[in-house]
Amino acid sequence: MTTVAAPAAHPYLQHLLEGQSGLAAAPTDALKALRAHALERVSALTVPTLRDEDWRFTDLAPFTQKRFQPAAPAPVLDARALKAFAPAEALTRLVFVDGTFQPEAGGAPSGVTVTALSSADAATRARAAALGTLAGFEHQVFPALNTAFLREAALVLVPRGVAAAQPVHLLFVSTQAGVAVHPRVLVVAEAGAAVTVIEDYVALGGTGYCNNAVTEIALGDDAQVKHYKIQREAPDAFHFATTAVLVGRNARYEGTALSFGARLSRHDPLVTIAGEGAACDLAGLALIGNRQVADTHSTIDHAVPHGESRQLHKTIVAGGAHAVFNGRIVVRPGAQLTNSGQQSRNLLLSGKARVDAKPQLEIFADDVKCAHGATVGQLDADELFYLRSRGLDEVAARNLLTYAFGAEVVERIALPSLKQQLAQLVLAGTSGK
Amino acid sequence: MILQDAKTLLEVKGLHASVNGREILKGLDLTVRAGEVHAIMGPNGSGKSTFAKLLAGHPAYELIAGTVQFEGSDLFALTPDARAKAGLFLGFQYPVEIPGVANSQFLRLAYNTVMAGRGKDELDPLEFDDLVRERMKLLEMNPNFLDRSVNEGFSGGEKKRNEILQMALLEPTVALLDETDSGLDIDALRIVAQGVNSLLNKDNAVVLVTHYQRLLNYIVPDYVHVMEGGRIVKTGDRSLALELESRGYDWIVGAGADKAVTA
Amino acid sequence: MSAVIQNLVNQPYTAGFVTDIESETVAKGLSEDTIRLISTKKNEPQWLLDFRLDAYRHWLKMEEPQWPNVHYPKIDFQNISYYSAPKPKKLKTMDEVDPELLRTFEKLGVPMNERAKLAGVAVDVIFDSVSVATTYKAKLAEVGIIFCSISEAVQNHPELVKKYMGSVVPTGDNYYAALNSAVFTDGSFCFIPKGVKCPMELSTYFRINTQDSGQFERTLIVAEEGATVSYLEGCTAPKFDTNQLHAAVVELVALDDADIKYSTVQNWYAGDENGVGGIYNFVTKRGLCQGARSRISWTQVETGSAITWKYPSCVLIGDHSVGEFYSVALTNHRQQADTGTKMIHIGKHTRSTIVSKGISAGHSNNSYRGLVKIGANADGARNYSQCDSMLIGQSSGAHTFAYIQVQNPTAKVEHEASTSKIGEDQLFYFASRGIGAEEAVSMIINGFCKDVFQQLPMEFAVEATKLLGLKLEGSVG
Repeated sequence: MTTVAAPAAHPYLQHLLEGQSGLAAAPTDALKALRAHALERVSALTVPTLRDEDWRFTDLAPFTQKRFQPAAPAPVLDARALKAFAPAEALTRLVFVDGTFQPEAGGAPSGVTVTALSSADAATRARAAALGTLAGFEHQVFPALNTAFLREAALVLVPRGVAAAQPVHLLFVSTQAGVAVHPRVLVVAEAGAAVTVIEDYVALGGTGYCNNAVTEIALGDDAQVKHYKIQREAPDAFHFATTAVLVGRNARYEGTALSFGARLSRHDPLVTIAGEGAACDLAGLALIGNRQVADTHSTIDHAVPHGESRQLHKTIVAGGAHAVFNGRIVVRPGAQLTNSGQQSRNLLLSGKARVDAKPQLEIFADDVKCAHGATVGQLDADELFYLRSRGLDEVAARNLLTYAFGAEVVERIALPSLKQQLAQLVLAGTSGK
Repeated sequence: MILQDAKTLLEVKGLHASVNGREILKGLDLTVRAGEVHAIMGPNGSGKSTFAKLLAGHPAYELIAGTVQFEGSDLFALTPDARAKAGLFLGFQYPVEIPGVANSQFLRLAYNTVMAGRGKDELDPLEFDDLVRERMKLLEMNPNFLDRSVNEGFSGGEKKRNEILQMALLEPTVALLDETDSGLDIDALRIVAQGVNSLLNKDNAVVLVTHYQRLLNYIVPDYVHVMEGGRIVKTGDRSLALELESRGYDWIVGAGADKAVTA
Repeated sequence: MSAVIQNLVNQPYTAGFVTDIESETVAKGLSEDTIRLISTKKNEPQWLLDFRLDAYRHWLKMEEPQWPNVHYPKIDFQNISYYSAPKPKKLKTMDEVDPELLRTFEKLGVPMNERAKLAGVAVDVIFDSVSVATTYKAKLAEVGIIFCSISEAVQNHPELVKKYMGSVVPTGDNYYAALNSAVFTDGSFCFIPKGVKCPMELSTYFRINTQDSGQFERTLIVAEEGATVSYLEGCTAPKFDTNQLHAAVVELVALDDADIKYSTVQNWYAGDENGVGGIYNFVTKRGLCQGARSRISWTQVETGSAITWKYPSCVLIGDHSVGEFYSVALTNHRQQADTGTKMIHIGKHTRSTIVSKGISAGHSNNSYRGLVKIGANADGARNYSQCDSMLIGQSSGAHTFAYIQVQNPTAKVEHEASTSKIGEDQLFYFASRGIGAEEAVSMIINGFCKDVFQQLPMEFAVEATKLLGLKLEGSVG
């Protein structure tokens, strides 16, 4: 029996909780307890403001000024509608339309379980026990909200020693206006497993909606996960995402996050180096214009020795847009022989564009290598001249170099068709006057 | 060269030592006399590097049993810097980088400190500059190296030449060169070996710790020792090195050696 | 000045003694009455009393900042005496100074005698909130330079003080600046007129004497068009068990083509090994590059204080103005430091350079917090920042919080940071070359801090290395 929770401390959160009590009962006790705990947290927390250190550069007013509805039953989309977003290399796909799972033909790569929580049998649900354990929500209102609404999730479970033969495409489509949806993903790569997962957010008619996503990824010993997160939300939509990753002994997590859409997007990648020899390689690109806001607040936590982390975050900011980056690296006491490098590179293309970058290091062990750098600037004058000396005019040269700046991150996508698609987006976004 | 009535410079007896609680040296004996060149070879994990670092006084290595006499005195009674002043030199396998400290500055300080410790005169910066440039010529080193930070951004070969330059300046009685040849191409090897050879005389000695035979084509050893399982299991002359080159280590390792230890 | 630093460096806190002299101390506590009392005692004009009261009223509405990465027991502002001075006397010449006081200065090595005259250094000494004597005032006056205490400046040059005080650090700027603006008792005032290059290094000397007497220094330096000055600040304090508060405000104003260099070697008492009894140093230092092509350069070596909270900053308003910050901050035992700088680029073609070297040893925590802010109109702004941390031992922490805020597309900001350590391997390398641990540490630290030390006036540079070596004794290996 679900107890009726006290009204939320914050009236806006109260309104966002509409529909939570109407959720179907959770299929397991664990999930029930999780939801209840999350609900309690939402009731105790408030919406962050500019006075909160973690949100001091990102004004949530455009968000809090809107009222959102829970999603209505979603339309069924046919394959043709989705074709534009289907990379040929990913034969396995889970499609969620406005939060509702839409089963498709085509199975999973052999040995790998790819299914929605709502369709999962008890055995599968048992293997997905990590759900809700990696993304904390004690003090973070967005993951807390997501967890309070947790009824559906994309599950990608790769057993010991299995290397998934093809990548898995998780597609989240928005078709409705003004709705709040809470997408959820769980990827478990057991010891020695390997998989590539594409987490893809697109709009097909949706406007002014909010996607509040939580993705949890657990890597066992020696596992390898490549994770591409692509955000192509509608220009007036809101996108909040938490990606919590736990990297085990000698495992390797490679994350690439590309942010093109949304009026306001906020991504919190949180990676914990939990086993010796673990490695993580993060890259991010925000390509924004008009009055978009793209905010990435990452944390890489070296909890044990011998970990390695690399991070490259790039932003290209045009029009009156605003990019925010906070890259936090923590090296705990005893996490000796940590090798960490972080680069934040930012390109402002117009007089009204703005960037706030904050590399942040907290180091408690001495035998470590932690280097970081941040630059904000223009294209290199020498490179520009070189292109012009080969016949390109000023605008073409600028566009090419700006494209190259963003393309460095897109290059990491190992799926040619997807890479091509995204490269086109970067090209379109960097073909200004 | 092996000389008659040569003074004993280094006398190692029954040496047992451990690192991180694990015993690596398990009863090592070695005698080095003036004028001699010794080579210590052996498979990885045999304890060769441990031996060199232990003698130089590296804090991570612990003496469990045995004695080492350096020119008749107990070596372990001395701190590492006292050992350096006394005339022991260690050429590192992996020399550390010290950003911000110029080579010229570091070398001059080391030189003056060691010379003062031996009751000899210190040199002022100009005098020292003359001396170091002269020694650098020996090792075909570019003078601009003096302004660079110690070992920072140095290639493997440059780091090793820097070690030998220090040997040339500090004029040790016994030099322990730990895998000085590793990572060197033919030219660098030739230069380094030449440098070492030019420093050898009848009053000093050098112990080369090496995995490969080829250094010994340039610096000819009087004795070749093979280490295995923390002890010297075979001693011969330079022909032993050639035999190891063609046959590998297995034929020695089997006979009476302890289980291999990974250092 | 070398003699002064010698005393600071060579002995472990010889300055740990109290001068046994009659001190007129105002009762503890802070209220409008305390402020009126201070103002009356100092014979201040109405506008200055108004300035103080305005600041006090701001302070009452403010909250102590919470965000710094430091932790300390709550300060009871009512348990501090805000005014303590030796019995008032007319102190026109050196002969009139209380002999007991002079003996104190002797002990501290303050050069208030013939030797100092030959060395050509003017000293403005502050003793427990009242400037006792100012040397070389006359000499500097020859070229039109005014170098005296703030109290004197208020009496003799009120129009200058009124014009500039609070123009760089407004009374409501932050909690400690507001407190200081309300209760400051004295400090240095320096005015360099048009075109004058100050012929000597200026310095001032701080001392906190009476237990529970917080010190609220206020310094104001103004360099008119084409003027230059180099100012040194060196500090010491006695040993006590209760923590002592030091909340100073330093304002610098540089007009067109002016150049102000402000150097600090700070050696406040840091507390014992367990962190008991040290100084709390909460300072607001800001330079206003008001004029075109002006330059303000902050250089500091911070080694003391139980707690340090200090962000010498530059506001670059004039086109082509330059702001610089060179800092070495060392923390050991249980010290905590949250320091850094703010470079605010407003004018066109402005430039800033930040070189910060943090050394953390013992169980200390050393945080760099820097802000580089490029305004929307700051065309062609350039910033280069280098923040390096050196960790000694496994129990200390080194943290970096670098805020980069850019609103102009023609600006160029570059920020780099790295970490290094002094450990067993480095020391062994030196030892194997005959160089002992102490010397090795000294050499490595000097190499690490080189870029900052070479910005210090020469006599400070030599002593800075020694000071760091002294502070790190026993912390490596």
